[in-house]
Amino acid sequence: MHQVGRALILVVAAFWISGGAASAQEPSDPPVVSEEDITVRGRVIDNLGRPIRKATVTVEGTFDEATTDKDGFFEILAPLNATLIVSTDRAGVALATVTGPVLDEIVLMLDLATEEITISERAPIVAPGAATLDRDELQRLPGTGGDVVRALTAMPGVVNVQIPLGYSGVVIRGASPQDSKVLVDGFEIPILFHPFGFRAIVATEAVKGLTFIPGGYEVAYGRSSSGIVLIETRPGSDNRTTQAEVSLIDGGLVAQGPLGKKTRYMFALRRSFIDFILPLVIPEEADLSLTTVPQYWDQQLRIDHEINSKWDFTASTIGTTDKFELYTTKDEDAGAKRFFTQTRFMRVTAAAKYHEGPWSAQLALSGMLSDANAEIGLYQKLKVKTRLLTPRVSVARTEEKAFGLKNVVWTAGTEAQIGHSTTDLAIPLERREGEAFPPYDPKDTSSRFKGSVWFPDYAAWTSLAADFDERVRVTTGLRADYFSRPGELVIQPRSELQIKLTPKTLTARFNGGFYSRPPEFQSEFLQKEVKSERSQQLTMGLEYMPVMGVRIQGSTYYTYRTALITHNEDGSLGNSGRGESKGFELLAMATTGTWFGWLGYSYSNSSRIDGPGAKPRLFDYDQPHSLNAALSWKKGHWQLGGRFQLYSGLPSTPVIGAEFDSDRNLHIPTPGDINSDRAPIHHQLDIRIDYTWKWGPAVLLAFLDVQNVYLDRSIVTYFYSYDYTQKSAFESLPLIPSVGLRGVF
Amino acid sequence: MLVGCGADIDPQWQLDHDRIIAIRATPPRITTGEESEIDALLGRIGEPPIEAEPTTAMVISPTSLAGSLMQRPTGWFVTAPGPMQLAAARTELGLAADEAVPLRIRVTFPASDEGINTGLKIVWLGEHSDNPVLDPVTIDGMVRTSTDAIVVAPAVDVRLSVPFDESYVVNWLTSAGNMHDFDLANAYLRVEPEDPQSGMLGVVVRDPLGGVAWRLWPISAQ
Repeated sequence: MHQVGRALILVVAAFWISGGAASAQEPSDPPVVSEEDITVRGRVIDNLGRPIRKATVTVEGTFDEATTDKDGFFEILAPLNATLIVSTDRAGVALATVTGPVLDEIVLMLDLATEEITISERAPIVAPGAATLDRDELQRLPGTGGDVVRALTAMPGVVNVQIPLGYSGVVIRGASPQDSKVLVDGFEIPILFHPFGFRAIVATEAVKGLTFIPGGYEVAYGRSSSGIVLIETRPGSDNRTTQAEVSLIDGGLVAQGPLGKKTRYMFALRRSFIDFILPLVIPEEADLSLTTVPQYWDQQLRIDHEINSKWDFTASTIGTTDKFELYTTKDEDAGAKRFFTQTRFMRVTAAAKYHEGPWSAQLALSGMLSDANAEIGLYQKLKVKTRLLTPRVSVARTEEKAFGLKNVVWTAGTEAQIGHSTTDLAIPLERREGEAFPPYDPKDTSSRFKGSVWFPDYAAWTSLAADFDERVRVTTGLRADYFSRPGELVIQPRSELQIKLTPKTLTARFNGGFYSRPPEFQSEFLQKEVKSERSQQLTMGLEYMPVMGVRIQGSTYYTYRTALITHNEDGSLGNSGRGESKGFELLAMATTGTWFGWLGYSYSNSSRIDGPGAKPRLFDYDQPHSLNAALSWKKGHWQLGGRFQLYSGLPSTPVIGAEFDSDRNLHIPTPGDINSDRAPIHHQLDIRIDYTWKWGPAVLLAFLDVQNVYLDRSIVTYFYSYDYTQKSAFESLPLIPSVGLRGVF
Repeated sequence: MLVGCGADIDPQWQLDHDRIIAIRATPPRITTGEESEIDALLGRIGEPPIEAEPTTAMVISPTSLAGSLMQRPTGWFVTAPGPMQLAAARTELGLAADEAVPLRIRVTFPASDEGINTGLKIVWLGEHSDNPVLDPVTIDGMVRTSTDAIVVAPAVDVRLSVPFDESYVVNWLTSAGNMHDFDLANAYLRVEPEDPQSGMLGVVVRDPLGGVAWRLWPISAQ
């Protein structure tokens, strides 16, 4: 199997490191530039004709630059026929030719990045420690390849490792991946990244923004005992555009625009290129037959329609499919060496939003079909088909003054999640968090189930928020979840106190609440007696916004976990585990002029006790230190950025001996103290270079994103030989370049 | 980002490695009054594998049948007990009346580094079966009925084959060259110039009933 592993690594390394995915034609010869400067006056506007202030106008090839005033006007000295580069820090770039002293209006093609073009005060965060990144910021973070999953690792409170963890790809504040939820447009998705290539299933170009809430979130969010990641798809713009992007990993298309006066659409489609490249780079001597080369498709469709002045309607779909089949031999008849996996899901959502006066409401209906299919060798299989239907209603009423209080907001909502799963599985006993890794036995099918399960869950919530005076705001709410499979009603009160220590710049927040997640991970839902996992979260935070575009926030938290699902001695599941996580986080963000800065640090300690009388142990993904510092500069055609990462290695369990089971032909390891080893600290520097230029009617952007430029050796974890007498390290690839090209037409 | 694995780990087909390769009970299933002898194939660093009897052996379960295992001057033996004892053992293990009783035995062997290698073996009581027969074994196009030394050409694929279906577990092992598809009935060996040019070639076959058989040949590339 190691030969196969090495072969795959060679393949993937070659895949990542191989040359560019696409080349752009050179622009046509530039016009002859006059050597005499003239004073040129022009105006910069957006698609809707609105003036853009603080846009930078640069004469190409010089350091001369001007800035637009509040009406979008500028003056600059430039020779005739020179090219002017017009840019803002958060929007795209437009080029104009100097044809005389007065130019036509220059329209910035905002769709290249974001519709928000002026630097504005950042919106208040939704909970202490939370952060929001818009699409432009997601794409500016170096070392992420512009990918949502990788961008999440820069968030303080998220465990940073080289590969996504669990289905959601994120470990937040010392909680298992399944304890957090990823919501796209408000609804859960079953998987956030592709298992081969580790790319997010949502292209960043199809995303409006990402909000990361590590804990302490409001009662409208549930079914999670840790954090929430909110991804909002991009609504179509008023201007019809098409974007195409290719990279070494995949290629995609985003089309958007108006459909009549009141309707806008956005459609995104992406396909992997792995299946085209992989067969070309697999070494001839590798014992491998790729009968279905790894491939994935992603799609998003969103339609926004303004029904009238009170009602807006949004319909959206998100879906993905992954397929992969290989034989770890050149013999395609050797069923014992076959590995097949196919996962796919499609979620369709229709939502209507109402707003009139103090009232607002949302009605939504969302359905999802998902299908996971895996077959390993001759004996092991996992086939799960799940159908979910989620109706949701929420209302809110806002009063400027009521009962002697100010800015009173009352919300209430209810939802059902009606699920049905058809399962056929024959697999080894699943490994739970904190358990030693069992030896691989291709004949082990000790977990078997065939049948269907209904799991309708219901929830209702209400909250009230009000200013007690100009400095103090209190929010309190209650959420009730009924998980019908275990027959369990869970009441979760949550409250927050906000105190403005200075009128506009410094705010303190104290947050406490109860949270739970239903037993739905892996085979948890197959056993009716397994209850939900619970957590109690306490968070205290400070937010400081000294100037527009700058935010500094710090938070400290303590989470106590109970009813954690662990294996009983007979192999069944129970709720005997408990644990605690504590730590603090610091995040500073600045978007000023041409600069974008990011500094995040988190300290965390997370431990578990697996049952009565058990010793405390470290959590599998305990990561005490994680530092992320990024700086990006954007001007004219160029954007340059760097990111430094430093983080603790993850714990692992040493093996102190093994016994050979001759009939099963495998060695059974004897684990040492759970998670008593740890991989070394890793640090790396990533760089990103973007270059934007105009080519005919299109604006093109090429990027190079290189991770770990100074080749620091990165040990992810350790593994053992088949008989556990030899130990070696899983190391990340030393240097990971990613190149791509994007065009807006 | 993807991760890679280190190259300093011996593959499972490497014979030049200190370990228990297989434990054999002859026969693997016995009826009342029959005897089964236990021995093993041991891999050693820098030396050819050897067949050896356990240094120690003890019954793990069912404990009521601990007396079925005994050491004699010629090795360790299991004697299948009478129907009454088997019935009691079935009750102890929660087995049906006609099921064979698995007698789990822990055995130890000396390791090269003066340590101990420990292994587990099941001898099935209450029904009879024999170890599989390794015949024919085809190596480099020739049926090998003996264990005479084999000479193969370097840097070519040397085909290895035994006639067993996928319900059998086949392991091809070598200390010369690189083994490909070592766990399939049809494998191939390739001895590159940088590999050890001589050593041992072996095949171990396990059947679905607990039977095991092996054969070894000296091999060199010329």
